[in-house]
Amino acid sequence: MGTEQKYNERNIEEYYIAEEPYYVSTSDEIEIFESAYRQRVPILLKGPTGTGKTRFVEHMAWRLSEGLTARSPGGKALNGAGDKLPLITVACHEDLTASDLVGRYLLDAEGTRWIDGPLTRAVKYGGICYLDEIVEARKDTTVIIHPLTDHRRSLTIDKLGSTIDAADGFLLVVSYNPGYQNALKDLKHSTRQRFVALEFDFPDEEHEAQIIAHESGCDTDTAERLARLGLKIRNLREHGLEEGASTRMLIYAGRLIKEGVSHRRACQVSVTWGITDDPQVQRSIDEVVTSIFA
Amino acid sequence: MTDSEKEQELTSSDKSNQDVFEIAKKELAEFPAPVLERYEVALEKLSGRLADESCQQWALEGLEIARKTVRSWEAAAEFFDASVAVQRQLPSGQFLKWAKTGTSLCEDSPSLAVAYFKSSPKSMLRLRPRYIDDWANVCRALYRGTWKSSALACRLFEATPALLETLSFEEFCHFGEFLEILSRRSYDQAGDALSAGIDLFPKITGDVDRFINLAQIVAEKSWRETAVLFDSATASLVELGAPHRAPLISLARRLVITGVSDAAGVLRDGANTVNRVPSDTRDRLLEMTDGIAAVSAPAAPEFLKIVPEVLERVTFEQMDQWQAEGIRNARESDEAAVNYFKLESPSSQEMLDSLSSSIELSRVRDIIQMYCLALTGRTIDVQAAQQLAEKNIGWFQGELPTTEGTTIYMPSVINRYTTKEENFGFFKVISTHQIGHIEFGSFAFDFGIQSNLFDDLRPRLPGATELQAAKAAEEEAKKKAAEKPQVVVFGHETAEERVEVQSVPAAEDQSSEFLTDMSRFFDLFQERRLALDVFTVVESSRVDGHVEEMYPGIMAMYEVVRRAALDSRPAVTELPAREALVEFMIRVSLGQIDEMLVPTEHKEAARKLRRLIRRVTSIEARVEDAAEAAIRGYSILIDIKNEELEDDDYEQLEPEEEEDSADSDDEDVVNPEDVIQQFMGQPSPDGEGEGDDQQDESDNQEFDDQGEEDYSSPQEVDYRGEFKPELSQLLSQMQMMESGEMSETGEMEPITQEQLEEMMKNAPEMEMEQAEGEEGGDQQVSEMIENLMKELQKRDPENQQFQPGPSQHIDEDGGPLTATEPDTYTYPEWDFRANEYKPNWCMIHEKVMADGEPNFFRETLAENSGLVAQIKRQFELVIPEMYRKQKRLEDGEEHDLDAVLEALIDLRVGVSPDEKLFWRRNKNERSVAVAFLLDLSASTAEAIDEAKKPSDDWGAPDDPVEYMVWLRSRRSEGLRRTYKRIVDVEKEGITLLVNSLEMLGDTYGIYGFSGYGRENVEFYTIKDLDEKFTEIVPRRIDRIAPLHATRMGPAIRHTAAKLAEAEARSRFLFLISDGRPQDRGYSREGVEKEYAVHDTRQSLIEARQMGITPFCLTVDKAGHDYMKTMMDEFSYEVLSDISLLPKRLPQLYRNLTT
Repeated sequence: MGTEQKYNERNIEEYYIAEEPYYVSTSDEIEIFESAYRQRVPILLKGPTGTGKTRFVEHMAWRLSEGLTARSPGGKALNGAGDKLPLITVACHEDLTASDLVGRYLLDAEGTRWIDGPLTRAVKYGGICYLDEIVEARKDTTVIIHPLTDHRRSLTIDKLGSTIDAADGFLLVVSYNPGYQNALKDLKHSTRQRFVALEFDFPDEEHEAQIIAHESGCDTDTAERLARLGLKIRNLREHGLEEGASTRMLIYAGRLIKEGVSHRRACQVSVTWGITDDPQVQRSIDEVVTSIFA
Repeated sequence: MTDSEKEQELTSSDKSNQDVFEIAKKELAEFPAPVLERYEVALEKLSGRLADESCQQWALEGLEIARKTVRSWEAAAEFFDASVAVQRQLPSGQFLKWAKTGTSLCEDSPSLAVAYFKSSPKSMLRLRPRYIDDWANVCRALYRGTWKSSALACRLFEATPALLETLSFEEFCHFGEFLEILSRRSYDQAGDALSAGIDLFPKITGDVDRFINLAQIVAEKSWRETAVLFDSATASLVELGAPHRAPLISLARRLVITGVSDAAGVLRDGANTVNRVPSDTRDRLLEMTDGIAAVSAPAAPEFLKIVPEVLERVTFEQMDQWQAEGIRNARESDEAAVNYFKLESPSSQEMLDSLSSSIELSRVRDIIQMYCLALTGRTIDVQAAQQLAEKNIGWFQGELPTTEGTTIYMPSVINRYTTKEENFGFFKVISTHQIGHIEFGSFAFDFGIQSNLFDDLRPRLPGATELQAAKAAEEEAKKKAAEKPQVVVFGHETAEERVEVQSVPAAEDQSSEFLTDMSRFFDLFQERRLALDVFTVVESSRVDGHVEEMYPGIMAMYEVVRRAALDSRPAVTELPAREALVEFMIRVSLGQIDEMLVPTEHKEAARKLRRLIRRVTSIEARVEDAAEAAIRGYSILIDIKNEELEDDDYEQLEPEEEEDSADSDDEDVVNPEDVIQQFMGQPSPDGEGEGDDQQDESDNQEFDDQGEEDYSSPQEVDYRGEFKPELSQLLSQMQMMESGEMSETGEMEPITQEQLEEMMKNAPEMEMEQAEGEEGGDQQVSEMIENLMKELQKRDPENQQFQPGPSQHIDEDGGPLTATEPDTYTYPEWDFRANEYKPNWCMIHEKVMADGEPNFFRETLAENSGLVAQIKRQFELVIPEMYRKQKRLEDGEEHDLDAVLEALIDLRVGVSPDEKLFWRRNKNERSVAVAFLLDLSASTAEAIDEAKKPSDDWGAPDDPVEYMVWLRSRRSEGLRRTYKRIVDVEKEGITLLVNSLEMLGDTYGIYGFSGYGRENVEFYTIKDLDEKFTEIVPRRIDRIAPLHATRMGPAIRHTAAKLAEAEARSRFLFLISDGRPQDRGYSREGVEKEYAVHDTRQSLIEARQMGITPFCLTVDKAGHDYMKTMMDEFSYEVLSDISLLPKRLPQLYRNLTT
């Protein structure tokens, strides 16, 4: 399982978001997140891949750090890490154990040494702990977050025999993609009912064009066309495609176009070929591409 | 004195001529009167011309003939009769020889002699004297002492003059020889051939000998074919030009020699094909056929047959390449060659595809369908245009692209351009335009919605129906006024106002009276057809404008198509004024800029129309804008007389840039108030009655002008196709209700037949057809309404499950079945033409297979002990694959290093360590359920070494009685067997597999199916899925035997239903079959094999949707062609050698399930 080094080399400071992450709000999700944060209600982000869930969390971490909004009803300052709100992201995978999150003892010359896991760090420092793709983690792992998500706001570390009350700024945010996982990997109800859920979907054409233009630096016309392409391809969801074209894909296409790759070719390599291996679906998507791009 | 003595006396005595003649006379007098009479007549004429001696001999010869047998006096009479004429043509020596020949014929049969003499005078005209004997012998050869043979021989004598008109004597002999050969088989056939020959030969002079040669071989090889051969030769060779006759006949002859029996077919197809290709390629075509014949004779006829079809897709030169490839393939086997040239082998299709630039809809349909789905976000069906025309619900063109709102219809083949890319591009252009109507909302037209670009006139205009109502009310008022004078004033005062006042609120109330908003819109116009045409142009332009804006990538091809469309437009100058202006609009919409000719006096109108088109092409325009534009366009055009103009009445319209832009874009092209006045003033369409004629009358009254032409609609723009807004809106509304998109409008009232009739009567879309065919027009309309009702019912979600689709099955009528008996189940069947299920169409009768002897099972295992061991080994290999390392266990094979480290740390720290320190390879639960479905059709009774004959059961008669006979004969063949049948191999395979399957522990079931007709699909359980393997299973396997026909669809559905209930992670359906699906009524008109194939395919798709993986294993060597369609995206395998089945089956099973 050799994941020991993974978190060992990280420092909490690196988790700060220094610059404003670009994020285009399509609904009231910013307000909801802010309200939830003020009330310390854990948040579940649902949505297909590439709809900006991770970016949204980063944006919110920055936003809250910048003090653009009051963090708690009383505007109380955070302890530990000054005014900045750290963001600790854990990408969950199927071998992720509880110790990977909480921490474990390590052996060294002097004997044993305890190392906090990312979750423990977030709890201690009062940051946002973002568990990406939570359903990928083992079921027993997800249970340890339960006490953190209700009124207790505490983390029990059985190996240390201690319980840590979360610092004031701590908030748990998890994400999952209900689309492609199978029924076996659905989120347990005991878990999912501990969160307020924000649904993410692809932005509308206009917003998406704006995002593509910003992220890729391509011209507006190209961005609009890419957004249209994304919209059209998403129509094929459930009809040959498991997932629609993500905004990320479209941004990559935009970047290639900016580099001087021809429109059609850029879409082919970053969208068509990436999204499916089925030659017929590829062909159909290609036809859409060639209709939209000259 | 005996006759012979007398004769001797006469010949020897030689006393005097007179004596001889007297004696002859005396003798002949004993015979019936005609003999003597004719003798005397002849003698009188001959005596002067023949030497006495000869004449005597002649007389004696006659006498001898008469005396020969009892009936020979008739021959003698004929002899005397013919003599005069014959003598004129022959020298005396030959003349007597002729007589002698007759005498000897008479010995054989007097009838022959009669015929000989009768035909002689005419025959001698064409026959050289030295051939007389040969001639007689040729004919005599046909005579074998029977009545029939003599009749035939006589007929040949009789036919000789006619035959010799075209045949040389050698040819005649040859023909005789042929008849002789054939007559050994059948005198009737020979007789027919003789008559046919008389007809045929004059038409194929020069090739007669060659043809007789062919006929002779056919007669020797398969004499039954000769009649057909002559028939087909008469039909086809005659049409064929002389230069190609000889090579074709020679070809047929060579093919017959090498074993092709259908010479007639070769001639027929050959002639047909040769006539269809350009004359300069005909020689080459025959050479190509020769080339094929040289490699594989049976393939050559197939080639001749398929050429026209191939040429529809490729050029002649390309076909040459295709043929060359075929010859390479043909070296493999005759079978491969036949399949190739039948266009049934994949390699053949592929070759043709790669050569051909044409594109068939069926090949790109899925891509286009997905393309449309992507663009519109709705599931759009793509069909061949022909299908819509066949439905007869208001669309008539079978070739133009169109849509009815949910399906787009396209031509089945595009062959306009020289490259595949361009042809596909055309498909793409027309589909983009058609779905443009859907995507950009042509059918979502709402009468009440405001337009973006115009001041709305719609709510302010009076509908025709309203006008009519108003008029009626007015008349009513007048009538009342007449009755009651005191109301007169009141009535008159309000008449005008009422119209005005009513029009606005009524417009809102009335919406319920119209089925669609589109109908309501067209109700505004009096000249509905003009309105429709104008609306069509503006709406199509609007869609094109949107396409241009949204999909610039396609514009390059769009431009190509538009230019071509422009080129094919009629010249404006040839049209009367109003039509010329409509045409002008179309041209503007197609992007023509220069050289726009318009009638000089209507230049201003043209400018306005052009502005209208430009306006609706903008991206802001909605369908309501198109409607407003149509109102304006209509109002301009209706005032223009549709009169014929001279060429110099036309002038070029200046380009737009130069146009006086004083009243440009923002301003309306018409004054709304004027339009309202204009519409108010429209004479009511029903004022003088109904129908076109009256309308025309009213037009004439209105304009009162002799130069006025009837208005006719412009020719459709090819890529835009047919546009039927009213019908399409109706149909797509129904569809939308189904998908819940219309929910906000609430429940829609059920549509009645009357409403439809009303709509059809008024719909401008229908007028064209009615005008074309006055006769039976009503009949046609009512049929159409009926079809439309059906179509609507189909779309109405409420009705859907209860309405059996219109029965398309010609040979199988009747409705859905109900399963009342135990162990019967009904399943739907898929009708691919109608694109719908026929609910509860087939009935499954499930039975448990009867018990047999266990010997077969045991013996098979014993005989194949080597194979059994091999399979076991293979399956044992599967077992380790099922194991996987599992960590963190309390007990296991070895310590888990990670866990031990952690535990040590824990110990050192002082916390209690985790006890789960081991790992182990644990059995990864294998969860497989598989059902084997065996085809037990009658065709599996075929011997496997006979498998060279494809097991195609299409000979199955449709008539039930005949079918049973056919079946019995097939099965009795099976009873006499000593050989291995296909079904035996199936049994073996199953036996070996079952034996090994027990080891794996998978859930499996074995089923067999067969049946006769849709009501009787027999389904045999050999081992049910949840049944344990007991000794009874081998005994059931023993009873697996060929039964009836192959209706695969229901059997697959039933098996899938069983599998769906099985608890397993992976489920498989293994279909083992010997040929294509076939059953009585499992095709349409008994010929459409695709029906069965498509139903089977659909059932497999259903199975897959249920999470079952289907696999098909067939032993039909001809299987590749239909399997490709049937199993398109599924796995299948065609076994080249059936005996491989027992070995291959377990292999496949292993590959599939692990």
